[in-house]
Amino acid sequence: MATYLEFIQQNEERDGVRFSWNVWPSSRLEATRMVVPLACLLTPLKERPDLPPVQYEPVLCSRPTCKAILNPLCQVDYRAKLWACNFCFQRNQFPPAYAGISEVNQPAELMPQFSTIEYMIQRGARSPLIFLYVVDTCLEEDDLQALKESLQMSLSLLPPDALVGLITFGRMVQVHELSCEGISKSYVFRGTKDLTAKQIQEMLGLTKSAMPVQQVRPGQPQEQSAVSSRFLQPVHKIDMNLTDLLGELQRDPWPVTQGKRPLRSTGVALSIAVGLLEGTFPNTGARIMLFTGGPPTQGPGMVVGDELKTPIRSWHDIEKDNARFMKKATKHYEMLANRTATNGHCIDIYACALDQTGLLEMKCCPNLTGGLMVMGDSFNTSLFKQTFQRIFSKDFNGDFRMAFGATLEVKTSRELKIAGAIGPCVSLNVKGPCVSENELGVGGTSQWKICGLDPSSTLGIYFEVVNQHNAPIPQGGRGAIQFVTQYQHSSTQKRIRVTTIARNWADAQSQLRHIEAAFDQEAAAVLMARLGVFRAESEEGPDVLRWLDRQLIRLCQKFGQYNKEDPTSFRLSDSFSLYPQFMFHLRRSPFLQVFNNSPDESSYYRHHFARQDLTQSLIMIQPILYSYSFHGPPEPVLLDSSSILADRILLMDTFFQIVIYLGETIAQWRKAGYQDMPEYENFKHLLQAPLDDAQEILQARFPMPRYINTEHGGSQARFLLSKVNPSQTHNNLYAWGQETGAPILTDDVSLQVFMDHLKKLAVSSAS
Amino acid sequence: MAELYVKPGNKERGWNDPPQFSYGLQTQTGGTKRTPLTKRVAAPQDGSPRAPETSGPPPVDHPPPSSKASRPPPMGSCPASGVDPPSSPVIESETLIEDVLRPLEQALEDCRGHTKQVCDDISRRLALLHEQWDGGKLSVPVKKRMALLVQELLHHQWDTADDIHRSLMVDHVTEVSQWMVGVKRLIAEKRSLSSEENKEEKSTVAPENQTIPGFQPSS
Repeated sequence: MATYLEFIQQNEERDGVRFSWNVWPSSRLEATRMVVPLACLLTPLKERPDLPPVQYEPVLCSRPTCKAILNPLCQVDYRAKLWACNFCFQRNQFPPAYAGISEVNQPAELMPQFSTIEYMIQRGARSPLIFLYVVDTCLEEDDLQALKESLQMSLSLLPPDALVGLITFGRMVQVHELSCEGISKSYVFRGTKDLTAKQIQEMLGLTKSAMPVQQVRPGQPQEQSAVSSRFLQPVHKIDMNLTDLLGELQRDPWPVTQGKRPLRSTGVALSIAVGLLEGTFPNTGARIMLFTGGPPTQGPGMVVGDELKTPIRSWHDIEKDNARFMKKATKHYEMLANRTATNGHCIDIYACALDQTGLLEMKCCPNLTGGLMVMGDSFNTSLFKQTFQRIFSKDFNGDFRMAFGATLEVKTSRELKIAGAIGPCVSLNVKGPCVSENELGVGGTSQWKICGLDPSSTLGIYFEVVNQHNAPIPQGGRGAIQFVTQYQHSSTQKRIRVTTIARNWADAQSQLRHIEAAFDQEAAAVLMARLGVFRAESEEGPDVLRWLDRQLIRLCQKFGQYNKEDPTSFRLSDSFSLYPQFMFHLRRSPFLQVFNNSPDESSYYRHHFARQDLTQSLIMIQPILYSYSFHGPPEPVLLDSSSILADRILLMDTFFQIVIYLGETIAQWRKAGYQDMPEYENFKHLLQAPLDDAQEILQARFPMPRYINTEHGGSQARFLLSKVNPSQTHNNLYAWGQETGAPILTDDVSLQVFMDHLKKLAVSSAS
Repeated sequence: MAELYVKPGNKERGWNDPPQFSYGLQTQTGGTKRTPLTKRVAAPQDGSPRAPETSGPPPVDHPPPSSKASRPPPMGSCPASGVDPPSSPVIESETLIEDVLRPLEQALEDCRGHTKQVCDDISRRLALLHEQWDGGKLSVPVKKRMALLVQELLHHQWDTADDIHRSLMVDHVTEVSQWMVGVKRLIAEKRSLSSEENKEEKSTVAPENQTIPGFQPSS
């Protein structure tokens, strides 16, 4: 292995894991002095085309409190047919099926290249996937038509044996019976009355069969109770009728007088959807998909009243404690989200409207259940249509890129404890010897539930080193962590993915260099950012920024090389060199700054930040900027105002937006029409190159980003100008004496000023 | 073969709406993938901007950036990478409605043994297809791909036929959503019919074994 960079990349590809530290400080005291906690980003279902699942069950450690899974780090006595657990050192007998085991005849799970392995479990009931559409009908005609078509289209993309159901809502909530007889019936609920799960089930007539799931026998996945089948039917049986039913959907018939919002019973509709699945299919993979075009305006979960003259809450209202419905609505949706998570289902929200729709109050529904959040202007946009199509995209095996009802369990060596997790999960409250008392994120447990996940879903998992100071480096010199993810595959099989990793311990006093060199600044930036965003959900913005700054200064004090009180002497080694600029851009990002964003937008950005993998998260923190010119092939350039040059085209990717910006000269050339002259075909190609690259990004990105095509002086150039480091502003432009770059009209501090202050504080003995 | 095209997004309804990719482009796998644009440049440690490394002095004949009547861009080859846009298929002879509808109706007759309700439903949708085709409401690409779909159906290529149906639903949902579901069901019915017929001859193919090397527990 040549470098740590290669090591890190290899581990990410194989195990879907990126650690902040790849050599671990061996004592609690030293670990806290490292400032950035020992933590990792874990992508539990990272796509591994080269890893077919094995078709047998994992072998567990026999100690009841351990139950770790046999892995390549275990010591094996081939003669005695024994293996020693690397977590609790228990000696275990191999099961009878392993009688033929020997040094040359090893099961896959003992081979070092299978540090990540997936088991396919044959036993247990298999039930079909469930998709329950909850559709707002208070939409404009154009929007409703587009949404209806997207839903009809989705019937062609769903697995044929998936169960599908339909609830529509406006002022009333309608639960549609799906039958093949051609007569459509529905149950109508008032949108103002909160109903308990039991009431909902009674009113829908679901209580007769107590536990329908248990009636599903293995091998007969189609069989289900007749009761629930009134509302949930296999796609292949019901597609024709449902197509008609969707086609005939009308806008909510209740009149909306001038100056009023339509009455929208989102809270009750969701409550009924949750109750319906709770009663019929608990603990089997199901998606509740909410499509809404405006805020809930009545009943439990209402976010704003129906008077248009009262606008929906802003950040200003929230700060002034002037958001009347926020707390109550949030409570309602949190209750629903928690119940849904307990049932193992997930809730998606597709909100398409020009104004806010209440994502702030409803965000817990997707956030706690691993559901998706999509925000757009209208259902009649490519942004919504394609994002929606991509939910049903398939992987290299032709399987849907979605998994359900996952439980993630983490096991650690004795010297480590689990502090918490941040991601689209809820705690399962499983205490144990490896659970730390100090919580980071969602802590106090060694297991979390992730009701909906895809190959990119990523959790941040935080640890605590508990080995005492001056105690010797732990036995074997390495610490280990095992991640066990049990989940329902989209093919409805039950699967278990096991990843076991180990890293070296080092004495932080004598071997600080080793620890330093093995620092993964990209992972560390994202992990610290997740902590910051997690705090921002409950604390005031400035407090979070102060905390982040404090951490950064301490990190620089610890790992920078400098002479006391001499800022000019300050240096960071290569493994830390990018970290301050990540923090600089993070401070300016919409994840921590709410200025210029609505509460819904902030919720939307934070939702995606808390579930994407490292590469995407880093793009969100510090957008990528590429430059196209006649001087050479496209090249990455600094995210800095000095990169905005007249003869360049820039392509910026912020994850949520793709911006193409033509420099002044390029824009003039285009205006003059050179691209249409055969002798300037090269110019035509230059204009085309960033468009092609943007398309590649667009084709792979989920959700679809906004696409901004602008030029020097264009109003939309602001998207670029607000992201670049303002190294040239109206204040210092002439001081630089340069003609290059574009001055940014801002009072924000630049990276240079930020770095100057950072150095001053880092080298100061007072701080 | 699915259509490959990109059309602009709906700028009227969506602010900065991204372009829309056809089903064929979205399901295309690998092959042409270039290295993702994920590289970034480190700022120097003092944080001050520096001229982009590779920019160098501009070429002598380079137009001054401030000049109003800007000079033309340099001629010659462009170093920027680009991908040729997929060429649109050449429109051949017109597709005839009989060529599409007759095989579909024949397929429906084959399935008549099944539930009457389902057959009536399919038949209703084929009538709708007929009506829309006659009324000139279907576009050329839809007609052409329906012809392809029917060909695949006749050759018992259920998966391909199903894929064409899916691509039509994704790319032309407004035109086809009302009746396409009937065609979809017809494909499914024909598929199950043929698998019933083949049941006796069908040899049990062992499930593909996992390819992990080494020892396999016998459990």
